[in-house]
Amino acid sequence: MPAVVLESVSKLFRHRPALFNWFGRERTGETRALHNVSLEVPSGRVLVLLGPNGSGKTTTLKLISTMLLPDFGRIYVQGADTTTNAETVRERVGFAVATERSFFPRLSARENLDFFAALDDIPRKVRADKIDDLLYRTGLHDSADTLVMKFSSGMYQRLGIARALIKKPSVVLLDEPTRSLDPGSAALFWNLVRGLPAEGTTVILATHNFNEAVAVGNQVAILFKGELSAELNLSASLGVDELRSFYFQTTGELEEVEPAMSRGGR
Amino acid sequence: MKISSLLDKTAVIMRRDLLTAMRYRTGFLLGGAGAITELAAFYYLSRAVGPGFRPEGIEYFSFLLIGTGFYTFLLMGVHAFLQTVQEAQQTGTLEVLMTTSTSPPVLVFLSTLSAFTANTVTLAFYLIAGLAFGAPMRPNVTSSLAVFGLSVVVAAAIGLLAAALQLAVQKGSAVVWVLGSVWFLTGTLFPVGTLPKPLRHMADLIPITHSLEGMRLALLQEASLAGVGHELLILALFALVLVPCSLLVFSWTLHRARLGGTLSFY
Repeated sequence: MPAVVLESVSKLFRHRPALFNWFGRERTGETRALHNVSLEVPSGRVLVLLGPNGSGKTTTLKLISTMLLPDFGRIYVQGADTTTNAETVRERVGFAVATERSFFPRLSARENLDFFAALDDIPRKVRADKIDDLLYRTGLHDSADTLVMKFSSGMYQRLGIARALIKKPSVVLLDEPTRSLDPGSAALFWNLVRGLPAEGTTVILATHNFNEAVAVGNQVAILFKGELSAELNLSASLGVDELRSFYFQTTGELEEVEPAMSRGGR
Repeated sequence: MKISSLLDKTAVIMRRDLLTAMRYRTGFLLGGAGAITELAAFYYLSRAVGPGFRPEGIEYFSFLLIGTGFYTFLLMGVHAFLQTVQEAQQTGTLEVLMTTSTSPPVLVFLSTLSAFTANTVTLAFYLIAGLAFGAPMRPNVTSSLAVFGLSVVVAAAIGLLAAALQLAVQKGSAVVWVLGSVWFLTGTLFPVGTLPKPLRHMADLIPITHSLEGMRLALLQEASLAGVGHELLILALFALVLVPCSLLVFSWTLHRARLGGTLSFY
C-alpha cells in the first residue's frame, strides 16, 4: 500500500466576500492553491516537492497533515482518509512546519518536546530517553534546558524536526527544513533524513533547494501554480545541474527569470 | 482514550501553564497584590456604607466578597477558553496542536481545566484573604460544591462559544466584553432587587446572576440543597442548553477554519 495518495485534490482559499470588503482594498474572490493534483508516494521513500513560492507545496503538506481539508478530491495516509479519519492520520504523521513560531516560548526545548510528546500519546516512561535521543540527533543537546524564546532560527528549525520525529511517525512532512540552517547543520540533517526510510518512515520534503533535493530525495514532484507539472525518479547519477535544467524546462520559469538575471549582470 | 493517557496530558498541560506563570514572575506577584488591594477597598467601602446596609440580609463586605470573587472567577473561566485559542494562534502553536493525536475538543477542555484550576486557587486565596479581613462565613459544603460545579459547567460552555467565535472571526473577546459589560445586572456589587423591573428580567437571563445568588446562600447562609434548589435548577437548564450548543458550534467553526485555512489567523 502506498504511504500517501492524493486523488484529484484541489484546494481553494476564499477571500472575504465583497459584501464585507467595505473599504475595497482587500483581495476578493478566491485563490486556487492546488488544482487536480494526483500523486502516490510509496512507503519508505523520500519525495521532494519542488516549486517556487506559492506553488502549493506547503498547502499539500498541510492537507496531508489534516491541518487543512481539501475542497475536492481525497487524500489517504496508509489507507486512512484525512477528511473522514483524521485522528488515525494524525497518529501516523509528523509535521515539521516552516514557521519558527510554533513553540511555547517560556518553556525549554526539553519541556516543549515533553509537552508535544504527551499529546502524541508517548508513554511517560519512555519520553525522557526519546527526547534525549532526538535532542542529540538534531544537535540541540547542549541547549536542551534553554528557554526556546532564546533560540535562533536554526535552533527552532531543528527543534521542529525533533518534534516531528518524536512519535516515530510512518510519514514525516518537512517544510523547508534547512531554510535557516548553516551548511554543516544542513548536511547533518540530510544524513538524518536519508536514514529515515531504513526505519520504515516515508518522508515528504518541500524545498526550493536543488542541492537538498538531490542529497536526500528518491523522487521529485514539481508543483507549479498549484498543478503537478512533472514527476521524476532521482537516480544516483542525476546531478544538481540536471535537476535544475529539468525543473526550469518543466516550469518555463527560466524564460521569466533570464531577462531579469541578464539585466542584473550588466 | 485511556484514563492514564488523559491524566498524563492533563499533567503536562498544567505543568506548562504553571511553569509559564512562574516565569512571568512580575505578573504572578502583581496578581496577588491586586487581589489584596481590591479587598482592602471593599472592606473600607463597606465600613463607609455602615453596618445598617445589609443587602439580602447579608453583611455588606461578605456580599461584596462573594459577588466580586465569584464574578471574577466565572468571567476568568470564560476568558480561559478564549485565551487558550488566542494564545495558541499568537504563539503559532494552534496548527501544530491540531496535528497531534489529541482531539481538538479534548485539548481545549484540558487547557481550560488547567486555567480553571489556577482560577480556583486564586479564588481560594481571595476568600481566605476575605476571612482575614473579618468576613463571616457559614458555608454548607454540599450546596456550595453543587452551585460551584454547575456554575463552572455553564461558564465552560460560554467559554467554548467564545473560543468558537475566536476561531470563526478572531473576535471571541466580544463574548467576554458582553459578560463584562453586564456586571451591574448580576448582583455583583448591589442586589438585583434594587434594579427596575425590566432590568431584573434581563438579569434573570444571565447565568452569573444565579451563580452569585446560589453561592451567597450556600456560603454565607448555610443554605441546604433545597435552599439553593431554585438556583441549581436554573443553572442546570442553562447547562442543558449551552453545553451541546457550544460543542456543536465549536466543532463546526473548527471544521470551517480547517477548510478555509484560517486556523492560525488572529
